[in-house]
Amino acid sequence: MSRPAGPIHLARLHFKLGTLNELQYRVNFWVQLLNSALNLATGLIAIAVVYNQTDSLGGWTSGQLLAVLGVHVLIGGFLKTFVVPNMWSLIRDVQEGTLDYTLTRPVDSQLIVSIRQINIWSLIDVALGVGVVAWAVTDIQADPSAGDLIAFFVALLCGAAIVYAIWLTAVTIAFKAVDIGDLMQILNGVYEAGRWPVTIYPLWLRGSLTVVIPLAFAITVPAEIISERIEGWWLVAALGVAFAALAVSRLIWKWGIRNYSGASA
Amino acid sequence: MANPLDIPVVVDALSKTFKVPVREAGLGQSVMSLFKREFRDVEAVKEIRFTLDTGEIVGFLGPNGAGKTTTIKMLTGLLFPTAGTARVLGHEPWRREKELLRRIALVMGQRNNLAWDLPAVDSFELNKAIYGIPEDVFQKRKGEYIEILDVADIATKPIRNLSLGERMKMEIVAALLHGPEVLFLDEPTIGLDVTMQRRLRQFILDYNAQNGATVLLTSHYMADVSAMVSRVVVIDHGSILYDGPLAGLSDRFSAHKTIRVEATDLPEDLGQLGRVLERNPARASIEVRREDVSTVAGHLLAVATVTDLAIEETPLEDVIDRVFTSESGGSDDTQN
Amino acid sequence: MRYYRAGMRIGFQREIQYRVRAFLMLFGFMIEPTIYLVVWTSVADAQGGEIAGLTTGTLAAYYIVWTLVRVYNLAYAPDAWEWRIREGRLNEFLSQPIHPFHRDFTFFAGAKFVWTLAWIPVAVFLTLIFDPVFDWAVINVVGFVIALWGGFIVRFLMLYALGMINFWTTRGSAIFGIFIASELVLSGRLVPLELMPHWISDIAAWLPFKWTFQFPIDTFIGRLSPQEIVSGIGFQAFWSIVLALVFVLVWNRAIRRYGAVGN
Repeated sequence: MSRPAGPIHLARLHFKLGTLNELQYRVNFWVQLLNSALNLATGLIAIAVVYNQTDSLGGWTSGQLLAVLGVHVLIGGFLKTFVVPNMWSLIRDVQEGTLDYTLTRPVDSQLIVSIRQINIWSLIDVALGVGVVAWAVTDIQADPSAGDLIAFFVALLCGAAIVYAIWLTAVTIAFKAVDIGDLMQILNGVYEAGRWPVTIYPLWLRGSLTVVIPLAFAITVPAEIISERIEGWWLVAALGVAFAALAVSRLIWKWGIRNYSGASA
Repeated sequence: MANPLDIPVVVDALSKTFKVPVREAGLGQSVMSLFKREFRDVEAVKEIRFTLDTGEIVGFLGPNGAGKTTTIKMLTGLLFPTAGTARVLGHEPWRREKELLRRIALVMGQRNNLAWDLPAVDSFELNKAIYGIPEDVFQKRKGEYIEILDVADIATKPIRNLSLGERMKMEIVAALLHGPEVLFLDEPTIGLDVTMQRRLRQFILDYNAQNGATVLLTSHYMADVSAMVSRVVVIDHGSILYDGPLAGLSDRFSAHKTIRVEATDLPEDLGQLGRVLERNPARASIEVRREDVSTVAGHLLAVATVTDLAIEETPLEDVIDRVFTSESGGSDDTQN
Repeated sequence: MRYYRAGMRIGFQREIQYRVRAFLMLFGFMIEPTIYLVVWTSVADAQGGEIAGLTTGTLAAYYIVWTLVRVYNLAYAPDAWEWRIREGRLNEFLSQPIHPFHRDFTFFAGAKFVWTLAWIPVAVFLTLIFDPVFDWAVINVVGFVIALWGGFIVRFLMLYALGMINFWTTRGSAIFGIFIASELVLSGRLVPLELMPHWISDIAAWLPFKWTFQFPIDTFIGRLSPQEIVSGIGFQAFWSIVLALVFVLVWNRAIRRYGAVGN
């Protein structure tokens, strides 16, 4: 028997198959474009209404807020492309008892449930997010150096890792406890909290979003990096949080699998 | 007696107990349950023991809730046992070691493993990567199976567009691509039409014959059982009631035989001879106790002009049915 | 109708089983208004404590009641029709002597009671954290209860009628997306309509959205005069009738099409 595929090869295979398959349904491109545009529009409207009334929101200018919105949309796009489809599959598996199949494969179960689906149309959000960030940068008239851009990119990667860990942890914990269809809605609601910079939130909310569900590091920090509001050592903190989040999600996954017993006995 | 290490499946004193929440009745209790939840223990599997030898096809029979699926889940590593041991190919299944997982396969009827949106061939490619199947072996097996099951034209359609029968064919192909040595089939033919059931059964039998794979099959369908298995393990309420050849099932559980007689002048009151199963002007089937067979047969031959007389075992379905409807199961029960 | 009592009781019992889910849902619903509240309070503070006539206390009150109204807004989702049609569940409903509307409506109505119970700790928590200012009066509370259910009825009918699109296309979710985005802005969910540019609040006056959301909130926190409360309820009744008629018309067409086209 030849060696089974490593994780990277498997991931690429899944992405390739999923993408090729999805490309047949071109209507979805337009549907997604519409939805993404609407989403972005409501975000911009909110910002406009705020800055209609004031010049500074807790020390943030409109351009800086735009950067936060951009990162929010970007990371949101990552979520909707790579994470959310897999979470829905996982939820369905738990409800229909087909998670059993995943557990009898000779591949790490967390790997399988994390890479098997992809929604390529949501990459539109990623593109839009990048666009908004670019707009924000010119609006602030910041002049990011190559180092700043690299730091920004790394911060985004950390953000991606963090939100993945959050979503996976939430779904795993909810395996048996809750009707987990609602969980996705709740997570989306929580994610909305990242639309605004966490520094304007009251302490209890800011604390929760930094320590418990570290959205602050996923969204606010990259935005601050690109808008040059903070120093580089925050990047180190972000990296630390990313690794911690991934480790925690791994532990929770293993615990969840141990507790799992299928939908019917 | 084979070397214990060579026996593919060994189960010893295996038990599984679940904690199930007590369901509230009525409005008041519903609100109380906001504060306090009660549980009760359900013993799904109680100290069962059996083994499977290489190449055996064993049928695992039992009513719903008997513990069949729980046992299979323990053997495939999906559940931890509460007590006892089990070994599959020398491994403890719940460790889910990769070496073991690459040598077994699980197929559950009406539950899909293959990706819903992708065509079957794509899922096959994924399996190839996951199980590390060499390219030439993969192509050969894939081609062979597709041809035998005659699924070439649907192999490129997304799974969601296939009928249940077509889907099950694909599932079985996918499950056998990596040449598993132990196959766990949980109600694989459920919901399929008769032709499809036969096709799949034959396919599995051929696979077993060619590869010497060990198969544990659960099913409700007697046709599955009689066509495929050499040995039956009957389980009910978590305990094994019978473990032996299929033919012995009637002997063990049925204290009756059926006499089929054809005659135009059968007496009216056949009910006195035994339980009348069927009654036409020219034909009758009577269920009688084993010990009474020769008496009743002799009587019929004496009082009627018999053109045909046959003495048959109680149909297996009825046997199984009775086993599961009696409390302890097994002994003679004279329900009328 | 006797069915309504039974249906609502079942809705209540079903929902209370998922008590954890109810709490989690309410907890989740707390996040959105908290964010809005924090943002608008921040803006108000910068302007000296009030914006467009809304003090921070009023804003806090607005967004706390927001969470309850949000819960009462929950209705049978338009996309669920697509699932229902595809899975063949619709056939079951069509062969029953009761119109599926009654089943769905009573289920949600019964569930509201569970959700209201789950809302209480959330409301207490939020009241302690923020400093809401309410204008108490019996008429406000009574009007609120009516307006709350009125808003539910209007929104339920709205979404139910919208769901009929799924009989003609599988891309209903796109239209639903437009709807939700518009509703967010035009109903008072994002922010009280007074803070919006005039042209937006003008458009909103002509649409049913604000009667499902902002109107009940305003009633409770005491921003409306008794006459305004009564006329608001009148508007709810008006929209309920209009939407019910729309639904009935579309439903008959939809069923005919379903019968012709099948699953």
